[in-house]
Amino acid sequence: MTKDELAKRLEHQSLRQLHRLAKDRVSRHIRMGKTRLIQSLLQLPPEMYIQISHEMQALHSQPKPAAKRLSTAKPQTPSARTPRRSPETSTSSPSDPLTTMGELLDGIGVPAPASFVPDAWQEEAIAYLTSSDVIVSVPTGSGKTYVALEAIRRAIENERTVIYTSPLKALSNTKLTEFSHIFGADQVGILTGDRKDNPHAPVLIMTTEILRNLLYDATSGEIDVRLDTLGLVIMDESQYLADPERGVVWEETIIFCPTQARLLLLSASIGNPEEIAAWMTSIRSTPCQLISHRNRSVPLRGGYLHPNGKLTPLFKTKEIAQGKGYAFHPETKRLFAQYESETLGGRYRR
Amino acid sequence: MPPAIHPVDLVEVLRSKRLTPAIVFLTSRRACDEAIDGFAYRSTPIPPTRSAAIAQVLKQVATEYPSIADHPLTQTVQQYGVAAHHAGHLPSWKIAIEELMRNGCLDAVFATTTLAAGVDFPARSVVITQSSVRKARDFADLTIGEIQQLGGRGGRRGKDLVGFVVITPSPYIDVHVLARGLTRYPEAIDSQFVVSYPMVLNLLKAHALDHIQPILAKSFAQFQLNKRAETLEEQLDALHVTMQPFGPRECMDWISQWQAFDQAKKRKTQRCSIELQDAPDVKARWPFLTLGRVAGLSKGRGIVLRQYRSKNRRQAMLSVLREQGNIIESPAHIVTQVFDHVVELEEFRRFPWCTPASMDNALHQLQELPRRLRPLPILMEKDDIDPPMLTDVLQEEFPCPTCPSQKACRRDYPQALRLRQEQHRLTKTIQALHSELWHRFHEHIEVLQRFGYLTPTCQLTEDGEWARLIRINHSLLLTELIRMDAFTGIPPSLLVGVLASISHDDDRPGAFPRRSSELGTLLRQVRTLAETLAPDEDPPLLRSDVAALAEYWVNNPAESWAQVIRKTTMAEGDVYRLLARTLEYLSQFRTLKATHPGLADIADQAMALMRRDVLEELP
Repeated sequence: MTKDELAKRLEHQSLRQLHRLAKDRVSRHIRMGKTRLIQSLLQLPPEMYIQISHEMQALHSQPKPAAKRLSTAKPQTPSARTPRRSPETSTSSPSDPLTTMGELLDGIGVPAPASFVPDAWQEEAIAYLTSSDVIVSVPTGSGKTYVALEAIRRAIENERTVIYTSPLKALSNTKLTEFSHIFGADQVGILTGDRKDNPHAPVLIMTTEILRNLLYDATSGEIDVRLDTLGLVIMDESQYLADPERGVVWEETIIFCPTQARLLLLSASIGNPEEIAAWMTSIRSTPCQLISHRNRSVPLRGGYLHPNGKLTPLFKTKEIAQGKGYAFHPETKRLFAQYESETLGGRYRR
Repeated sequence: MPPAIHPVDLVEVLRSKRLTPAIVFLTSRRACDEAIDGFAYRSTPIPPTRSAAIAQVLKQVATEYPSIADHPLTQTVQQYGVAAHHAGHLPSWKIAIEELMRNGCLDAVFATTTLAAGVDFPARSVVITQSSVRKARDFADLTIGEIQQLGGRGGRRGKDLVGFVVITPSPYIDVHVLARGLTRYPEAIDSQFVVSYPMVLNLLKAHALDHIQPILAKSFAQFQLNKRAETLEEQLDALHVTMQPFGPRECMDWISQWQAFDQAKKRKTQRCSIELQDAPDVKARWPFLTLGRVAGLSKGRGIVLRQYRSKNRRQAMLSVLREQGNIIESPAHIVTQVFDHVVELEEFRRFPWCTPASMDNALHQLQELPRRLRPLPILMEKDDIDPPMLTDVLQEEFPCPTCPSQKACRRDYPQALRLRQEQHRLTKTIQALHSELWHRFHEHIEVLQRFGYLTPTCQLTEDGEWARLIRINHSLLLTELIRMDAFTGIPPSLLVGVLASISHDDDRPGAFPRRSSELGTLLRQVRTLAETLAPDEDPPLLRSDVAALAEYWVNNPAESWAQVIRKTTMAEGDVYRLLARTLEYLSQFRTLKATHPGLADIADQAMALMRRDVLEELP
């Protein structure tokens, strides 16, 4: 290939392609215009001409190198985004039938009275408690209390003391009434910071802070009889472990909980119950069993109530399910957009 | 913000769709109370049979908790079948509402979102009107866990076939936050372990210092830190593998050797370049090259517009207006002569560095200047002696310039250095993760030693022995006050006032102006002490209105709860909590009977005086 031939072919290249060819061959090519680029390419030793023309052909066979570079970059962005978005939008394909208002409100009512049959997980949790600590992490209102009550009943039968802790005094009082009804007022006591009611009863209700203080007194030698016969510690609302101010108290209590006592942690749904079970297994003498599920005992449906009093289904699907993403019902979407545009809420959101 | 739909309409719709009983979560206590007020104006009363049922339940609850017998809200609840339930109410009233809900007597309960955990009763439907709550002083989106806690109240086991979550908009609502919260899995929870003074004292009472670290290692905090450390250790292992080609060469630690060499080289060249930069002629002329100075350039003449240093090499630079009328930016050494002539120019901050009018004028003058101008006599220093040969010096100090692996070192050095720095960073982080809790524990030990609660060998001192029994917030402030004898021989009402003001950490405004002057003096002392302790312990709010309120409660045993409440703007639930907390603090003082019998006695009296009326109802 002669210099002239090459010059002619280079003339037809775009500036971008010329830069690609000049890369690593011509110094500071990025500052040159088209004519100077061609000149400096032609000034290269003749043995490189062949190489250049080959590269030129290669560039032509995969058209638009610039576009190619973009296209390598582009798929990354959507692919990085899609997994995040897809669970929210892709769940119900357009062919899925939309819930109607009638369907949404269908089936409201009181179930026929039936004798209470404990769920399998409740039985399982109680069975585990004879030999190990148990964490129960299930949705609100699915029957954690039954597990607690049954565990207390068995502990009383075995003549062991039970300590039940709750994060709030108000909850302690509710539990006191509830337990007194079930086990008899003489069987249940309550300890608060300033008061002791029936402190030698087999079932003691207190806030977690009080139990922590008891345990501190015990470790520093001031033995409390109640801790000697302690067979079970139930910690309700254990998700308080993550409370910025009080979470540490839950940790202290679990760390210093006597080894002969079983721990039963009751918690609302949390993201990492396995981690907490692993932690407790690593510090306690017995392995910790985890009972965790996300099924609600009463199915939950979603509705949207527009300020004008119109009720529509919240999602395309009737029931609210976890982990499958969501898609708003089109009518709800429209109404909410209307609300936002009327109140300018959308624009002035924080 | 209240919801856009009126609460009365909201309940109407829920009733008509058979979605009652419902819990309506609103932003604030005020919104809840206003919602209830709205019913008294607009709603139609519920059938008398239902009112009677409500009255029946309330009467039954009142036998146990007399304070609700003549509660001002009783009428509204009975008439309209709706109620508010929030922290501003007395616990007994909240219990009554919960009891009503359990019996299915109410259509709707308006509750605040902030205390979702305290709402321990289910309903058929839950109405959510907001996507954010006030946390500390700011608004934050509800977490998934919180939204599921709210939604979880919908649908009563054994009483409902289905439960409902109804979202109704209010200003600032973000429905996506709510939809995500309802459909996603809740967040993982993280340890919030903090070391406190009572913790340190109590642990050191029971265990020797050597045994503390294993105890701290048992915490969930350490468990999670270890997990993080593990992933970092994996990264570190991978780094070790990539570091293999950069093992020992001619010298064992060639990276450090080369780094030192490289830095020395840079330092030398830098010194040289600074000296080169300001060549002696430039240095001598520099002070004269000011705005308007006429200077001889290598070609022609020009007027200096400004002088500056180049960004990169800090070279002396000039902006010069040339005879042709163009402005050039050039290193100062283009000036070959400085003339004894200055043209008047008005300075300007941006290009072209002088006002356009004065520039035109100056340019005209420059072109009119005579061919010969008198040069300024400028004294030039003799050039310094040449710096010693760079490599010679380096050669004496370093083996690198003659080393056979020099080339390889030069090539690999940047990458190897980067990897090694990463290695160091990881090792440091892992160490920090392992020792973090222990470090924090030690900080607290040091403070306690400084104040004399611990001996230098970490034994509890006489003061430490009793101080460990004070296991509440602001324990350092309280124990210091006790050591100062601030409470010795004071009347119970003063002790109550001070403790109330230390225990209260809510900044909701309240008003209760009358307090005794003794209490004022004591509070001032406490405040001074709290400020001096501030580096070691966050000071409490120390509000004097709550102190006065607590003092009043003790000093006026004849006044009923309702009468006292009328004297303050605080909600009665808040007052109740304030007094209940003060009782807790007092009970901690009572445990000091062995060492401080006088103080324990005062605390005992104070507790007896405080426990009356509403405060006696609940354990």
